[in-house]
Amino acid sequence: MTRFILKRCGLALVSLFILSVTIFTLIRLTGDPATLLAAPDAKEADLDAIRVRFGLDRSWPVQYVRFVGGALQGDFGTSLYYRIPAGTLYWQRLPASLQLAAAAMTISLVVGLSVGILAAVNVGRWWDSAGKLIALLGLSMPSFWLGLLLIYFFAVYLHWLPTSGRGTAAHLVMPAIALSGYFTAAHMRLTRSSMLDVLGSEYVKLARLKGLPESWVLVKHAFKNALIPVVTLAGINLVLMINVAVVVETVFAWPGIGRLLFEGIEFRDFPVVQTVVLLGGVMVIVANLTVDVLYAWIDPRIRLKS
Amino acid sequence: MPGSIPASASRASTLLYPWSLTWRRVRAGARNLPVVSLTILGAALVAALFADVLAPHDPELGNLRHRHRPPAWVAGGDANPLLGTDHLGRDVLSRLLFGARISLLVGFTAAVVAGALGTAVGIISGYCGRWVDQVIMRVVDAWLALPVISFAIFLAVLLGPSEMNIVIILAGIFWTRYARVIRGEVLSLKERDYVRLAIVAGCNKWTIMRRHILPNVINTSIVLSSLIVGVVIVAEAALSFLGVGVPPRKPAWGLMLADGKEGMMAGYWWVTLFPGLAIMLVVLAANLLGDWLRVKLDPQLRQL
Amino acid sequence: MRANRRCFLGCVALVLGLLLIAPAPSAGAPQGTVIYAVHITIAPAWFDPADNPGQITPFIIQYALHDAVIKPMPAGMMTPSLAESWTASKDGRVYEFVLRKNVVFHNGDLMTAEDVKFSFERYRGAGATLLKEKVEAVTIVDPHRVRFHLKEPWPDFMGFYGSPATGAGWIVPKKYVEKVGEDGFKQAPVGAGPFKLVSMTPGVEIVLEAHEKYWRKTPKVKRIVMKTVTEGSTRLAMLKRGEAHIAYKTDGPLGEEVRKDPNLDLVFSGGIATWWLQFGELNDPKSPWHHHKVRLAANYALDRRALSEAETLGASPLTGSIIPREFEWALPVDPLPYDPKKAKQLLAEAGYPSGFDAGTITPIPPYYSFAEAVGGYLGAVGIKAKVQKMERAVMFDKRRKRELTGICLCANGGFGNAVTRIDADIVSTGVHSVLKDAEIDKLFDEQSREADPKKREALLKRIQQRVVDRAYFAPIYQLQWPNGVSKAMKVSGMGLIPTFYYTGPFEEIELR
Repeated sequence: MTRFILKRCGLALVSLFILSVTIFTLIRLTGDPATLLAAPDAKEADLDAIRVRFGLDRSWPVQYVRFVGGALQGDFGTSLYYRIPAGTLYWQRLPASLQLAAAAMTISLVVGLSVGILAAVNVGRWWDSAGKLIALLGLSMPSFWLGLLLIYFFAVYLHWLPTSGRGTAAHLVMPAIALSGYFTAAHMRLTRSSMLDVLGSEYVKLARLKGLPESWVLVKHAFKNALIPVVTLAGINLVLMINVAVVVETVFAWPGIGRLLFEGIEFRDFPVVQTVVLLGGVMVIVANLTVDVLYAWIDPRIRLKS
Repeated sequence: MPGSIPASASRASTLLYPWSLTWRRVRAGARNLPVVSLTILGAALVAALFADVLAPHDPELGNLRHRHRPPAWVAGGDANPLLGTDHLGRDVLSRLLFGARISLLVGFTAAVVAGALGTAVGIISGYCGRWVDQVIMRVVDAWLALPVISFAIFLAVLLGPSEMNIVIILAGIFWTRYARVIRGEVLSLKERDYVRLAIVAGCNKWTIMRRHILPNVINTSIVLSSLIVGVVIVAEAALSFLGVGVPPRKPAWGLMLADGKEGMMAGYWWVTLFPGLAIMLVVLAANLLGDWLRVKLDPQLRQL
Repeated sequence: MRANRRCFLGCVALVLGLLLIAPAPSAGAPQGTVIYAVHITIAPAWFDPADNPGQITPFIIQYALHDAVIKPMPAGMMTPSLAESWTASKDGRVYEFVLRKNVVFHNGDLMTAEDVKFSFERYRGAGATLLKEKVEAVTIVDPHRVRFHLKEPWPDFMGFYGSPATGAGWIVPKKYVEKVGEDGFKQAPVGAGPFKLVSMTPGVEIVLEAHEKYWRKTPKVKRIVMKTVTEGSTRLAMLKRGEAHIAYKTDGPLGEEVRKDPNLDLVFSGGIATWWLQFGELNDPKSPWHHHKVRLAANYALDRRALSEAETLGASPLTGSIIPREFEWALPVDPLPYDPKKAKQLLAEAGYPSGFDAGTITPIPPYYSFAEAVGGYLGAVGIKAKVQKMERAVMFDKRRKRELTGICLCANGGFGNAVTRIDADIVSTGVHSVLKDAEIDKLFDEQSREADPKKREALLKRIQQRVVDRAYFAPIYQLQWPNGVSKAMKVSGMGLIPTFYYTGPFEEIELR
């Protein structure tokens, strides 16, 4: 078991290294932050002064070593735009992103699962059509459009909810709905098809033949088994959700990581971009690692095979 | 070759050349075609192909003095421009027709490229197994750990905005989906009898992958593509909203939505409603087609 | 009975006495909270004038937190603020400032000449090298008198020190900065302005509170919250919902909606960013832009009024010069009229009767719809140009290196005077200049050595006239924005200070 964990950790470190070098090089290929930090008609001497000040005049490998060295001690560099430590910015904004993702994922699972089940059970009838309609809306409406429509309707017109920003629970409602749109549709479709499969399986047929009540069949067997692929998909989608959240964060002025990264790239704020991508990557890789280890612990065949 | 093999193997022979099976099934299914879906897609295709002839105005040139003219049936509008104009005075109808070309082209091409790459990777990874599989899956993991948005922006910055680059960006985002799904398929296909037969018969690894594995997973790819096309078109809108989408003058539907978002607040609903409806209809059509294909080609594919 | 009456009288006396002693309702106490919806992310770097980049953006907050020796105010572009008055010596080498005696920083420190000298010496933002080159020493005559000794006469000194072109004249407290250090200052800045910083959430919002001891007057508003909302539609939604009182930059359809809404006012800001078309290839004899008539045709092809209406709801005044009228030594030039027929005629005369392909038109991001509209007008007379979208930093870089092909929809928003703009965009050594006019270079060199202000002005105006005569550019307008203001505001501060894009002075902002 220990060998398995060590091997996986080793691979994870390799992934991290590749990721860090990639992001380091990519962001530097995009250009020079000095021009953005100075007046449009600044002289070359002023720009050089800026470069020296932020350590941008050294060669790339030197900058990389400095960065990694600092990162291992918890110092991720200072943001060029905000002038405060990049790590601080990240940890400050992370809770907002997690909160939004958790809310959106909850909505997508609750609505997706319930509508999916109802659609499967009532195949061909009203609930099924309603489910298909919801799925269509979720899949074909870009989140920014949905978000703006929600703001216009519920905030400006009806005055029920605040337009934007983060604060109370009311502030979370619309951004979460806007973000969950696509995922609700995806989860609903998968639940429906998964349920249909299970409902047509031998086990369920047998249970029905035995005369067991339909609700028992549904709850005890169908539901649980249909759940498995959906939860797997939800896990994969969580990462995607955090990635695409930047659109919703922009529309609703939600102070999350997506917006931080996007503006970081726009302003060529190297430390911020490096930190966000690296820490984000660390979280994903660590999560994958944990899942792998858990699976291996549960099922010995996996660790023996590798 | 089929003639010299015993009866029990003749079934195997049809499985050895499953292309013929697919085609037979498709022909059988042609009877219950998804009418709605094909009508919509057909209309979009016609619009895309014949936009030059159908569109009343140039989609890229506008007149500032005619901005935000409402559609014909609203007060203040007239029959030409039928669906109104946008913030630069460009005709919405013409842009809609030309936009079909771009949106469909981008969507379709991105799905095909992502599909080709993802399927190939999935087959290789699933079939070869062991360390090849591990390495490829690590790469896929690392790829997924990289935030897609930053990747899109980097590419947009380095290459400049153009339709080709959007296709590359979108393909780069979606290929992993194919790879994972196809790999799963291949893992179970590997255990099938006819594959084992082929190995025993001494067939080369690449031949097996090409002749036996590929035709069986292509169904999955096609069905997945029909679903992905819709997502790609919507993703184009999101990228345009962030400013890293199609170049500004092009009438892609997603860009029209993004450009018109401010107009929406001011009551110029037609600038966004029509492209939004177009997107919705095409996504609906693609999904209906995908559902139908899924049922016709292989009922086992319900998991998608 | 008598005891009761005495008691009663006593009570009345007590009440009257209390009324006399009790403080009268202070008519000057700051009240209320004003919420801003800001279109850009506020950077903590802007809290420190020492780093001013020469762009106008830090002043969105610096006018609230800090004060300057001399700064633009409604009364004039060079209104003495922290200084009561200033004088220049006859030989132009010594400038003396008499400082006010009642200026108190947010932390209670009294401002002295020490702080002025300190602020100058720690300045390292735009123009710092120039200032340090020209200024030999800063001497303190007495606690409220400071002198700047120049190495040689430099008539532009006040233009740089006494204006937002640099942050050297914006005063910070020496003792405090030395105590908390550079980083500490950025996290908890202290200044002499009408508002002090209460809290800041990076990228989200900033909360300011009135500095009641502000020397000029007590601010009328108690609290100001500036929220970063980059999405224009959301800013408008906040205004309509009552979640914001002032929303910056509501242009296009958003501005139209503000106009229509009875609870909102559309208010124009000031501004000095001039926008023009620049022809990168005009020195190439093979390029159509080499011909004067072709450039002139481009000028006649543009409907500047419609552009100003479409982009900024008519807020932007049209201009025929790339130098703003309000600048010192600027030559006021009216734009050429919109005459596409004449444009086509000129093109035919130059040898391009059916127009030509000009390649691309590259705007400064993200003004793409502006470029589209301009491209439309040029296309209508036969000059075909495709809008090229480029990422911001990439475009700036290419512009500096002179690598932009085709037409550039350029702008310059820096503070200064005619000299600084000519220096940047017109002389052949200019950072962004594409011109190679020897006559202009010669005139510019002459004026830099000219001591007589009248002769200098004449030279500068000759340069500008030459630029207009040869139609080197196609100037369009001076960008100003429409902004949305709630009717709950009595004084929004928008457009009060000439050439200023943001609200100010902050002590005048008032709720109804």
